[in-house]
Amino acid sequence: MDDVKRTIKTGILEALPLAFAIAAYGLSYGVLATEADFSLAASVAMSLLVFSGAVQIVAVGMLASGASPASVLFTSILLNLRNLLYGAALAEGLAPAKKWRWLLSFGVSDEPFVLGSSRFKKYGPDPLYFGIVAGVFYLAWIISSLIGALVGNQADPQKWGLDLAFPITFAALLIPSLKEKPVIATALAAAVIAIGFEYFMPGNEFTIMITGVLAPLAGLYLKRRSLNA
Amino acid sequence: MLKSWFLIGLLSVSTYLSRIFGVEFMAGREMSPSLRSYFNYVPIGIITALIIKQILVPSAGQLAISLPVLIGCLSAAVAIRIIKMFLPSVIIGVMIGWLVRYLLS
Repeated sequence: MDDVKRTIKTGILEALPLAFAIAAYGLSYGVLATEADFSLAASVAMSLLVFSGAVQIVAVGMLASGASPASVLFTSILLNLRNLLYGAALAEGLAPAKKWRWLLSFGVSDEPFVLGSSRFKKYGPDPLYFGIVAGVFYLAWIISSLIGALVGNQADPQKWGLDLAFPITFAALLIPSLKEKPVIATALAAAVIAIGFEYFMPGNEFTIMITGVLAPLAGLYLKRRSLNA
Repeated sequence: MLKSWFLIGLLSVSTYLSRIFGVEFMAGREMSPSLRSYFNYVPIGIITALIIKQILVPSAGQLAISLPVLIGCLSAAVAIRIIKMFLPSVIIGVMIGWLVRYLLS
């Protein structure tokens, strides 16, 4: 029993600092969702049901720029590919949960993966810890999305410059990731491909999908070249 | 409105499937390092494309650069490099972008 209590306490304490960071993204998502003409209920329901910052922010961003639901869905599938990696890496640590794995799997995403995998590496399988961490992040995400959507509903977007929040949020998400050369190469290739597509076909809805498929090849090329050097 | 709810439903299902598929079926399988890297680079490509699409605005069949968006993005980029905090950087970027729009109008 003491072990259970200790795990719960550790999970909450270790998740809290990241929960604040997640809440910052949640606030932005809530504001952006209302900008994309999502109702308050739809904005929060998306957080309740999808629980993925990347998918949700990109989805509302694409919808606001006029993309069709089909291209949003395709792009989200591309974004979700990395969940396969996370799930595969976490599977052993979640195995003791047996049938509860179906519920715990809902929490597989960037931040729970980071905390969960480092915990499993140190102490072995620990589904309870993963559940606590994912639960804390889930609450932070839902509450902050709701607050963001309430703010977005009250403010006049043009007057407060909230319509500028889309690209600026994406820039703030992108910059901290630009550390390794393959990642920088991916971003540069994406910029060139996207500018090329927009130049020849202004406002078309395939730019994001095609860039998402092609640009990572530049990063991959650079990574393989550095490994072979 | 119905379209939004339908899309939310599809995104929920596809996202959950990617999670459960990883946990239930990919466990113990060796994935090639190249595929692993490719998956990790995909979000970078998509986010960059989204920024470009917002900076380049189609106007009468041609592309125009939105200076408020461009300068706002650059300001947020510099801010997050210096202060390393997400939300304040977004707020700084939006305020500077808004100021540029105000000065240009």
